Amino acid sequence: MSMNVQETLTSPLVWHPQTAAEAWQYKQTYGIHSVFVAGGTLLRTHWESGAAPMPQHFIDLSAIRGLNEIRVGEEGLLIGGQSKLQECRTNPLLQRHFPMAVDAIRSIAAPSIRNLATIGGNIASIVGDSVPALLVYDASLIWYNGQTEQEEKLSDWLLAAGQSGYRNDRLLLSLKLPLKSETSRGDRDENSTNSKMKRFGAFHKVGRREAFTPSVVTAAVSGSITDTGLLNKIQIAVGGGQTIPRRLIEVEKEIVGTAVDGEMLRHLFDRALELYEPREDVFASASYRKQTAANLIVTELWKASGRFIGQGG
Amino acid sequence: MLLNRTSSGGRWRIRPDGPAKVTGELTYLTDMTKEDMLYGLVLRSEHPHARIISVQTDKAKQLQGVHAVLTYMDVPGLNAFGIAHPDQPVLCEDRARYVGDAIATVAAETLAIAQQALEQIEVEYEILPPVDDPELAILDDAPLLHPQGNTLHRTAFNRGDAEEGFKLCTHIIEETYYTPRQMHTYMETEGGLFVPGDDGRLTVYSPTQHGFMDRLQLSRILAIPQSDIRIVSSPIGGSFGGKDELNVQPYGALLAVNTGRPIKMHNSRWESVRAGLKRHPMKITMKTGTDADGKLLAHQVYIISDTGPYSTLGAEVLNFATEHVIGPYRYEHLDVKGVSVFTNNGMSGEFRGFGGNQAIFALEGQMDRLAERLGLEPWAFRKLNMRQLDDLGPFDQPIAMTEGADQVWDAVSTSPLWLEREKIPLEGQSAAEPWIKTGIGAAFTMHGAGLGVGIPDPAGGRLELAVDGKIEAVFGYEEFGQGLIAALEQMLIEQFDFAQEDIRIIIGDTDVVPDSGSTTASRATAMMWKSLQRLHTPFTEQLLERAGAIVGRPAEQLRLSEGGVRKKVGDELLITYGELAKAEGEPIRCETSFVFPTSPTDRVGAHFMYTYSAVAVKVELNTLTGRVKVLQQYHAVAAGPVINPQGFLGQIEGGSSMALGFALMEDAVMEKGHYMTRNLDTYLVPTIADQRGKIEVQPIEHLPENDEHGPRGIGEVGSVTLAPAIAAAIHQASGKWVTKLPIDPSYLQETPFFLSKAVNGE
Repeated sequence: MSMNVQETLTSPLVWHPQTAAEAWQYKQTYGIHSVFVAGGTLLRTHWESGAAPMPQHFIDLSAIRGLNEIRVGEEGLLIGGQSKLQECRTNPLLQRHFPMAVDAIRSIAAPSIRNLATIGGNIASIVGDSVPALLVYDASLIWYNGQTEQEEKLSDWLLAAGQSGYRNDRLLLSLKLPLKSETSRGDRDENSTNSKMKRFGAFHKVGRREAFTPSVVTAAVSGSITDTGLLNKIQIAVGGGQTIPRRLIEVEKEIVGTAVDGEMLRHLFDRALELYEPREDVFASASYRKQTAANLIVTELWKASGRFIGQGG
Repeated sequence: MLLNRTSSGGRWRIRPDGPAKVTGELTYLTDMTKEDMLYGLVLRSEHPHARIISVQTDKAKQLQGVHAVLTYMDVPGLNAFGIAHPDQPVLCEDRARYVGDAIATVAAETLAIAQQALEQIEVEYEILPPVDDPELAILDDAPLLHPQGNTLHRTAFNRGDAEEGFKLCTHIIEETYYTPRQMHTYMETEGGLFVPGDDGRLTVYSPTQHGFMDRLQLSRILAIPQSDIRIVSSPIGGSFGGKDELNVQPYGALLAVNTGRPIKMHNSRWESVRAGLKRHPMKITMKTGTDADGKLLAHQVYIISDTGPYSTLGAEVLNFATEHVIGPYRYEHLDVKGVSVFTNNGMSGEFRGFGGNQAIFALEGQMDRLAERLGLEPWAFRKLNMRQLDDLGPFDQPIAMTEGADQVWDAVSTSPLWLEREKIPLEGQSAAEPWIKTGIGAAFTMHGAGLGVGIPDPAGGRLELAVDGKIEAVFGYEEFGQGLIAALEQMLIEQFDFAQEDIRIIIGDTDVVPDSGSTTASRATAMMWKSLQRLHTPFTEQLLERAGAIVGRPAEQLRLSEGGVRKKVGDELLITYGELAKAEGEPIRCETSFVFPTSPTDRVGAHFMYTYSAVAVKVELNTLTGRVKVLQQYHAVAAGPVINPQGFLGQIEGGSSMALGFALMEDAVMEKGHYMTRNLDTYLVPTIADQRGKIEVQPIEHLPENDEHGPRGIGEVGSVTLAPAIAAAIHQASGKWVTKLPIDPSYLQETPFFLSKAVNGE
């Protein structure tokens, strides 16, 4: 076993709050010298690489009661922030109603890490690979701000979190995924007698290898097409690497209600290239990321359209 | 017959070191500790290129718990190491030439104190511009990294007149190929335990591929006799060439001698990446021409190899590449040149394949391009130009003749995978998912084994009957995961009829083993085989004569067997090896030493024994993402008899997985002399998910009747041919030629066909 040269003379103190209020209090007390720790799998890599200093105080969230439950609430599925990725991946409710989220979670890291890492941690990292899938499901976040619980749309929080100098001392309690009547009938049931709609949805993660890889591009696409070939609903979210995920709301609005044809797909392709502004690194250029995302998104619609476009039909 | 568990029958054995390794029970050398040990760390240069103005160690020395802070002034002997040419400073004096260059080394009671001590060392640098481009480094105005200039080594080989040859060519392909800075990525990072003894000797428990070379190098650095140093060097958690050169040993040894305390050193992965060796990145430009019928006439090559700041084996790797860019083909005219260049990039050095991987990627790329230009089937084009049985080697040197080239060619040409190639539709398009394209490609090599002409290449070993009745096989080779112990055990069982329990294998300890040479260059199994051939008669005779004297029968009526000596006819055990060992008499022991066979030529680095191998591979390209998946591989390997079926398969499969990384994802990216891939979260190697495709291995065991050399090396060939075969398969799938590894997905990406205006003209 390799020695850990990051070991310091004064090891950090680890606090084990039992309640959210207690955790929040520790954060107030120690401020920037402290950090909330769930699985710690991502933070550890930051400390090791020097991307972030290891603070003096760890606030361990694992003992807080009720944060690792997954249950149906009044407005949707509530997923405690401390739920392990592996628990989310194997949860029947998530599998049934939110398959793209499950696909996304399955693509994160490796089994040993998914047994430690939490869904809350993945979201709090802002660039977690689960985020695009959650965006497509209109997820909300439940925060604790020291006094009360606050609900905030995931998409709103991402906009705020992307601003420079953004600071967030709130504690992420849970994630809420709205259970829509149509999704509750089963996302993949294309021949449902209750619906003439053709539903489609897919999550893609493109990395630099097939598994256990940081993402280069992530894309989630979900929607439905009427039996007359009009796009009834569409949700598209993109992310990947250090790019803060976002919904492509602009183009969603432009194409919803229109016919899924070659012209529409070209428009979607061009707009995806414009709207998605990925951060590049030495491994993958922005233009590669744009092309990849645009390719994957339009291909999902092409598949849903019945694959006739461009085949001489 | 394909090599697998079923076809191997009873020869498929559980390797003796297997269970302890897969259960984690095995204590590697870097797992060792000692009660009163100190922790050693190394301070490395912050800059890829800098003048060192001063190094202040006072503050570090004053820290409580710090026992030594050493700089170059504390090196008693030669302040340099390097297997071929010692020019890498143990501790830098006035110049740092890469980000791994060592400036000071520290021993302290805890790792944390040692770390703090490193931080307390004050180094004043004058930053110099890094020389990070080998092509610029050899220009006249480049800053000099060494007094003799930035050229480590140049090679040239000529036959005929290439310029004249090209005038006669109908088809000429010119292309430049680029290969990556691949990392060995062994599981066990460099380290060890360094123990000064009461007798004044130093024992070094640290992985290496050649214990005696480490002993020699450390004796020069410490200025003590070699006999005062013992190197214990196995088991090793992977090496692939990366631990042949010294790494942490100079520091551990200096600190141990200086403090009189055991020193533990173990690189973090970060430090391993920063300081360790990588495969030489090469840029290989080729111009190759044929006549109208496809006969090769002229081949011109220029290799530029980025060797990093110091020599280690950079010159030898270039020699190897120079030989292998010629390869198994016939040309009228040859003009091959190479240069290995010092830069301020990371250290390049020995790595499985040893320059062959880069060379064959380029050479086989040329063959595929020429075949296409000629409208010939690529494998048939190779046959047209392939060497004949009694042709000289690539450097026009005599070589050990085999029919390997033809045998391997035949195997691939009739393999179901290669035959499937014709059935793949134009540009490999699938109807259901038209963005998925498949293709099949193949590539060929003849890969030299042994160190080659001009480099000392000793071999040998010893058999003895130990006092406890075990048959001891003692060799100076190393077990770094390749299955050397298993191969040796299998040979002892099959050639001598010993039982597994009769045998004790002793390797990796310079106090005990003979100098069998290095465990490199695909040579160890062949040299063990040869040793046992030489030892078989004398050792058997000694055992049987002693047994005969005791049991009162002529030795001719006796035979070796499981557990002891038996009558030639009948099963009765006459005397056990234990009883034999207790009997009076001289110790029973036989030793042999010889040198690896070399070609009778003056050409330095030219090889004598070759392994012929080829692979056919099927890939799937997703044009939406540009990503490539390897679906299936078929390897044909002509290397003589299979010594250990499981080990053979493991070497070919394992080598091919490294080649898959080389082709598709691995590159230690550097910018201005700094690694951008500093850990395994950015330097990606293939996982099992990248290697789900079927791999078939076809060994070709036949050797000419009079062949006396036995099994050829297979440690490297599995890693050589896959990359060019993948490139050929991608060409069939997409029509695109890959020239740079790892393959850039953006190059293979396409806009979906249904968006194209031409098709969408409705």
